[in-house]
Amino acid sequence: MRADEPKRYWKSLAEREGGAAYSERAAAEFDETPFAAGPLGSRRSFLQAAGFSFAGALLAGCRRAPVEKAAPWLEQPEEIIAGRSYYYTSTCGACPAGCGLLVKTRDGRPIKLEGNPDHPLSRGGLCAVGQASILGLYDSLRPKQPLLRGRAVSWQEADREVLKALAEARRSGGAVRYLSGTLTSPSRLRMIRQLLSGLPDGRHVTYDTLPAAAVLDAHERTHGVRALPHYRFDRANVVASFDADFLGTWLSPVEFTAGYSQLRKPLEQSPQMSYHVQFEARLSLTGSKADRRIRIAPEELPWYLAQLCARLEVKAQRSSGARLESLPILDDVAERLWQARGRSLVVCGAEHLDAQLLANYANELLGNYGTTLDLRRPSLQRQARPGDFAELLDEIATGRIAVLFLDGVNPVYDLPDGEQLARRLRKLPLVVSLAERLDESAEAAAVVCPDQHYLECWGDAEPVRGLFGVQQPLIPPLRGRAALESLAIWAGAPKSAADIVRETWEREIFPRCKAKEESFERFWERVLHEGWVEAEIEHPGSAFNPAPAQAALHRVTKTAAAGLTLVAYPKIALLDGRHAYNPWLQELPDPITKATWDNYACLAPATARKLGLTDGDVVRLEAGPERAVELPVLVQPGQHDNVVAVALGYGGHLTRRFANLGPRWLGWRPSVNAGGCVGENIAPLLERDGGSLRWTRSGVRLVPTGKRHALAVTQDHHTLTVPPRLAAADRGRRPIIEETTLEAFRKDPRAGAQGHPPPAEDLWPRDHTFPGHRWMMVVDLTACTGCSACVIACQVENNVPAVGKDEVRRKREMHWIRIDRYYSGPLGDVDVAFQPMMCQHCEHAPCETVCPVLATVHSSEGLNQQIYNRCIGTRYCENNCPYKVRRFNWFDYARDDRLANMVLNPDVTVRSRGVMEKCTFCVQRIQEARLEARRRGEPLRDGEVQTACQQSCPAQAIVFGDANDPASKVSQLLKSGRAYRVLEEINVRPSVTYLRLVRNRREAEEEERHG
Amino acid sequence: MASRLTAIVLALASAYSLLLLRPKIGSFRLPGNQQGYEPVQPIAYSHRLHAGELQIPCLYCHFSAERSRHAGIPAASICMNCHRFVTAPLGALRAEDALASKEKRAPRLIVSPELQKLYDALALNEKREPDPSRRPRPIAWVRVYRLPDFVYFDHRAHVNAGVACQQCHGPVETMERVRQVSDLSMGWCVNCHRQANQTGVNGRQVHASTDCAACHF
Repeated sequence: MRADEPKRYWKSLAEREGGAAYSERAAAEFDETPFAAGPLGSRRSFLQAAGFSFAGALLAGCRRAPVEKAAPWLEQPEEIIAGRSYYYTSTCGACPAGCGLLVKTRDGRPIKLEGNPDHPLSRGGLCAVGQASILGLYDSLRPKQPLLRGRAVSWQEADREVLKALAEARRSGGAVRYLSGTLTSPSRLRMIRQLLSGLPDGRHVTYDTLPAAAVLDAHERTHGVRALPHYRFDRANVVASFDADFLGTWLSPVEFTAGYSQLRKPLEQSPQMSYHVQFEARLSLTGSKADRRIRIAPEELPWYLAQLCARLEVKAQRSSGARLESLPILDDVAERLWQARGRSLVVCGAEHLDAQLLANYANELLGNYGTTLDLRRPSLQRQARPGDFAELLDEIATGRIAVLFLDGVNPVYDLPDGEQLARRLRKLPLVVSLAERLDESAEAAAVVCPDQHYLECWGDAEPVRGLFGVQQPLIPPLRGRAALESLAIWAGAPKSAADIVRETWEREIFPRCKAKEESFERFWERVLHEGWVEAEIEHPGSAFNPAPAQAALHRVTKTAAAGLTLVAYPKIALLDGRHAYNPWLQELPDPITKATWDNYACLAPATARKLGLTDGDVVRLEAGPERAVELPVLVQPGQHDNVVAVALGYGGHLTRRFANLGPRWLGWRPSVNAGGCVGENIAPLLERDGGSLRWTRSGVRLVPTGKRHALAVTQDHHTLTVPPRLAAADRGRRPIIEETTLEAFRKDPRAGAQGHPPPAEDLWPRDHTFPGHRWMMVVDLTACTGCSACVIACQVENNVPAVGKDEVRRKREMHWIRIDRYYSGPLGDVDVAFQPMMCQHCEHAPCETVCPVLATVHSSEGLNQQIYNRCIGTRYCENNCPYKVRRFNWFDYARDDRLANMVLNPDVTVRSRGVMEKCTFCVQRIQEARLEARRRGEPLRDGEVQTACQQSCPAQAIVFGDANDPASKVSQLLKSGRAYRVLEEINVRPSVTYLRLVRNRREAEEEERHG
Repeated sequence: MASRLTAIVLALASAYSLLLLRPKIGSFRLPGNQQGYEPVQPIAYSHRLHAGELQIPCLYCHFSAERSRHAGIPAASICMNCHRFVTAPLGALRAEDALASKEKRAPRLIVSPELQKLYDALALNEKREPDPSRRPRPIAWVRVYRLPDFVYFDHRAHVNAGVACQQCHGPVETMERVRQVSDLSMGWCVNCHRQANQTGVNGRQVHASTDCAACHF
């Protein structure tokens, strides 16, 4: 590579291969032109004909406004004023990670979830799933009442049925089993114990859809404690990750991202950042952020770990005589880990006992236990023992169970032999499901006693030992009954959930806390105010036993699999499918593939070429006898050639609700497939080994079917590239992503600058003076992990609708902020760069000059304002926007679910059909903060205005503030040598500044990769 | 002949229709302009009596105006601060007292029919204590001042800047039934903002934004 030639970036393979056809297609407004030659003639003639009736409708609309009633409270509640937002602490219940929440409630209903900045784990961030989980509260398809064999019955009737069966079990000694995922709630566990303790044969069995049993087992052997360490990425200067997607889906991504990115923000005064190497088969979110990424087949993983351990043994002079094979990359990794011993971390996400034993050994050799791995306060997630679950499945098969409770698990969906299990469940005397929604397992249960959403009932969590979080109800219950209350009734001691939780805290937690308060009352008040508390713990010491790990080291051999290996993976947003009902999560583009509303078979480019397949070709994946799933292909650069990767969590019955999603018009196509679900369930292809599922399966066959499937992939939507017919004037445009290496950054903080300053002469007079505030944003591309939490946060905050798969295919997704993902480098071994892209609030905004009705104009504080009531929908602005961030309301998007409408933010207009919209820099938050400051008689302080995207960002990659205030954080960052603006050379003067991407590499390494 | 007759008939018809439309044309307003709207409320609450004669400050009942976007309609419990004791107009109470002392008996309880509606809403019995056999029902007032959904007006900003309530709402203290005084058009808002920037409010310099996004977002 010549030094003066910029690195080439591309968003998709089609773009990489280039060609005029691609550019034209990418720059076109639609993938498919509506009404090109439809049954109603051309679009133009249709509109002409329709014009008359539109005029008539307009006249009919001229009448007095409807009478509006306003009913105030009868009793004025203390401390609540109508129209003001109040924030309450809680603990996120969307996954077991237990992040701290501040729930924004307005007039008695929660409308937005924010991260609690004081929470020791999540530190203010909140992931996309957590953000979206608020929609689950207002899900009108959640059952209100219990169901008895499919019939809605009263709670008394359902309880009678359960109590009768329990009494029978008590009398006859029948087996009662309580199956749940790993529960971290002390109150829930206490109630389950209480329910089962009165029974002659009662047992609580857990199983995790996303397990960590190998980590637990490995620690049992090497440390004598079956524990999942609390990984401390905030202390790890060198991270070697073996297939652990810790920034995306593994254990506690928000916490890990916060800790990880804290060490990856190089500054001029301290040009330091951690080093991260990732060994993996498919391209994960975590791998995309790694400084070095090594593609390995899943079968090779233990061997790589063994080789690493062997090298570390030598360095630690504790060699056990393992044979060293020549692997320069591992020499380098081992050296870096060794240099940072005590401050490094080896993590392994594979469910493979030997691999986990070796990872423990590596960490022990490096002296990381006690610093980057905490066994004193271990994580309490994913504690299931597969053996217990296997036993339970046997009991179900033989029908030896009298009563089976299902709490928050959906084994009928998760297991490869789910249908058989459903049949067996139907044959059991009584199966009671506590599911919030009617999933596959609830359908097979005789009694469904729907649990409540975590925002409408009391609860608690202990995600890490000794760290307790509390959940408080923020709205009177809308649906169901709290599981705690159900359990209390069935245990024969009815009690409210509030009393149960208080009792747990008073008896079990308060005595363990060195509380400042004398009384429990005062302690409880503080807990509710802060949302979490840390308790003292007793810790039995654990000594390391190297023997099992050394045995593994000598046992592991280099294995290579023949043929293709299936890798099933949890996808960001969908995880194991528990939130598949959520349209926001379905429509969130996957950070890597950029696909929405589908799962697909990811193939490496080389493999796809060999098989003659391209994106959208449907293939049949076959594994074992009569097990096959048909899926569309998606060609994924950076993936291992022998791997076909498929996302979990799709094809569940919870997605049947999307059959009619999206605006209904002539060209409408459903968001679901022929089977009535979104995507395909991959479970039939997986192997169950006792009580655990294997996420990889060697020797799968892939048969092309000749069919095609149109994926809804957003990667080529809204591109910043220029079609060739316009490119001549644009020659010399620099790349949109700028990056450098840490080595170069140390020499010159401005390294990597492409240097196309805006022209000195201005077409426009400098008539924008900003006398008061000047709002600006800085986005750190080094810190951004692409996790997409901001996308959902923005969607909730700004009432952005989900439009459905068909509209996404037509490039009509409505997200105000998108994460552009760029690839660079060789196809097999791509580098990835993420760039959050939202309205840049240009000083010389091209959209403003072309609006014929002045519906988009500049504010005196640097905001580019979009005025919905003025907009007449010419879409000129969208066409003229160089960043392609404007979104047009082609329809009045679904607003007919009155319960779902309760999530709408009353501070933001719900846009109607025919108007343009885009990011506003959360102007409603600016207004609120300003008016509050004015009410208090104080100036607006830096940090008081936080945009929704900024608030939710676990990596704190987004900073927003007043550039007129020289002390503000944003002003400081604007002076950074890493600061650059996208498309600065076209002189639109954007208000968003990006901080250059820095990779912890040597310059020579970089040149070698891209040479 | 026939055509002339047609012409005359048409001319007469149009003259007649113009005559009929004349009052309509005179009172033409842009769609959405509700100026002069004076709906009947479920309880005949008199601002003239409370705010005018009794001089209760606006913010006693509409206390949200200082801290929230909405001025708010007071909760029934706020009415009960006084009407726990005051059950009818003062004149009627005094007359009954006088009559009772003349007839040498204890005064009878007098409850005005309008206040009875308040007690009914709160489900109170004759002693104005909660009656558990009845369900309280919130009072559904008819909203007078209403802005379209794409406009965000914030009372807090205006009240704290010292703008008098009457500036927008007119002499409410003289109104038996509240009437929409201003037209609530954007021009009316913006004119006031421009003027406030030049002359200040109550002699104090203010910054009243005329940015679109001050109200539209």
